[in-house]
Amino acid sequence: MPSNSEALASFVESAPPGELSNVTNAINTIAGDSSLQSLGPALEKYNEEQFTTVTLPGSSQPVIVSSHNSLGEGRYFDVESQSSFAFDHTTQKASAVQSYALESKNADLIKSILKSLTTHANEHYPSSSLGVYPVQNDGAIAILLVANKYSPNNFWNGRWRSHYTFSSGQLTGNIRVDVHYYEDGNVRLLTEKPVSASLSSSASASEIVRQIASIERKYQEDLNKAFGSLSEGAFKGLRRQLPITRQKIEWEKISGYRLGQDIGGGRAR
Amino acid sequence: MASADPFDSALDLLRRLNPKDTSRNVSLLCQIAPSLTEDLLESVDVPLSVKRCSKTGRDFLCCDYNRDGDSWRSPWSNEFEPPIEDGEAVMSSERVRKMEVKANDAFDVYRELYFEGGISSVYLWDVDDGFAGCVLLKKSVSPGGKGKAASWDSIHVFEALDRARTAHYKLTSTVILNLGTEAEALGSMDLSGNMVRQIEQDMPVEDDGSHVANIGRMVEDMEYKMRNLLQEVYFGKAKDIVDDLRSIPSIKETEKDKATHREMISKMGR
Repeated sequence: MPSNSEALASFVESAPPGELSNVTNAINTIAGDSSLQSLGPALEKYNEEQFTTVTLPGSSQPVIVSSHNSLGEGRYFDVESQSSFAFDHTTQKASAVQSYALESKNADLIKSILKSLTTHANEHYPSSSLGVYPVQNDGAIAILLVANKYSPNNFWNGRWRSHYTFSSGQLTGNIRVDVHYYEDGNVRLLTEKPVSASLSSSASASEIVRQIASIERKYQEDLNKAFGSLSEGAFKGLRRQLPITRQKIEWEKISGYRLGQDIGGGRAR
Repeated sequence: MASADPFDSALDLLRRLNPKDTSRNVSLLCQIAPSLTEDLLESVDVPLSVKRCSKTGRDFLCCDYNRDGDSWRSPWSNEFEPPIEDGEAVMSSERVRKMEVKANDAFDVYRELYFEGGISSVYLWDVDDGFAGCVLLKKSVSPGGKGKAASWDSIHVFEALDRARTAHYKLTSTVILNLGTEAEALGSMDLSGNMVRQIEQDMPVEDDGSHVANIGRMVEDMEYKMRNLLQEVYFGKAKDIVDDLRSIPSIKETEKDKATHREMISKMGR
């Protein structure tokens, strides 16, 4: 069995989009105030992995928190707004904003990707946040996109996350979708799709973003097909809508069913 | 949330965390807050486990209602597996056990007609002014190749209160539906969860046979409704939310089309 603090950390890790504070409030009530103090590392991991977005004081554009734009000691930077900030993983609030100048041999490409990606995101995501950062000692570029839509009044929340690394002409990464629906129940969709594509090592920003756009479109189409095939396949295979007779059961005559037709099979397994 | 109750918070937490992990999360919560153990085990539905009845060789389903310590009662033999050593298990009255046997036969037919396989078990027990019970159904499929396993568990808990020539039934139904798929083009996709619905109804009763038929009809109607609801939520709602996150057609084009459409309608109205 995991320790209590490992158990609480696993609860944080599985918090649905937009419901982290509900999860930590519940943990607080069940395990007490002191339990929250041990959750620091779990909350940091959650925020960085989920590409949590935060609006900087004096700004209206949310920016991403991730391991790829971390400066250490709880500070993160954003290329677009040329600023760095302190982030509180418990309250999900930013403070101590400072100006930040991007230093990278790929600085021009990073800024162009950001521009092209913004155009692409505006075309296909009603609301999204983007991040393009130099990573791996400036040997690669991380490209992040997160789209959230929270509708707690209608008992659902959703998140789309794309993460790519561009290095020596190779584009690799993954797309993850997380949907929670919880009206009189608890239904969760979790997907993960690893992606990769080859471009030329001198690929331009628009070529990279065009590749991303095509990967994401293809993935969403495949996902739509998968909804259809699960509905027509596995779901139908579990329980029929009506019996083979196409009629509801005549319960008064239920004992006759066994005599009338061979429906056995229940005994053999 | 002002001074929330730990039990309510535990239920709220379980309604938010991945439904696939509910069994594991319930045991973790019992470890963290042992005082909640009994209430959680009683009120949280988890996928049903299966045991084999050593007397009849038939499989049966286990839940909190046929459990006594670490033993579970088989509906086929009316005996506990493994046997309870001190022999102190509380057994149903003769009348209720008779109905239980009938109900198990009836739901065995129901199971075959709707699930074409799977396992069913019905457990009844005496309560003041009537009886109570649960109808359990489970079907799992494990497709070959790369496909992932899928499973349906339904747990129908009811109470039947006897009145003159009628009975008042109160039914709470939970369906746990887990679906997953994996393919090269798609990556992994997991669609899992549970939904709960309740209904109360008065129905005429002539004899104990009417009870079995009434419960049968209620469960059949409820599963029909819930299957449609699951279809809507799993394949309609979930897909709609993905479409709300990302739009395949260009948003600008879609807005332009919508504006044109609105304009046409307003012109027609004039």
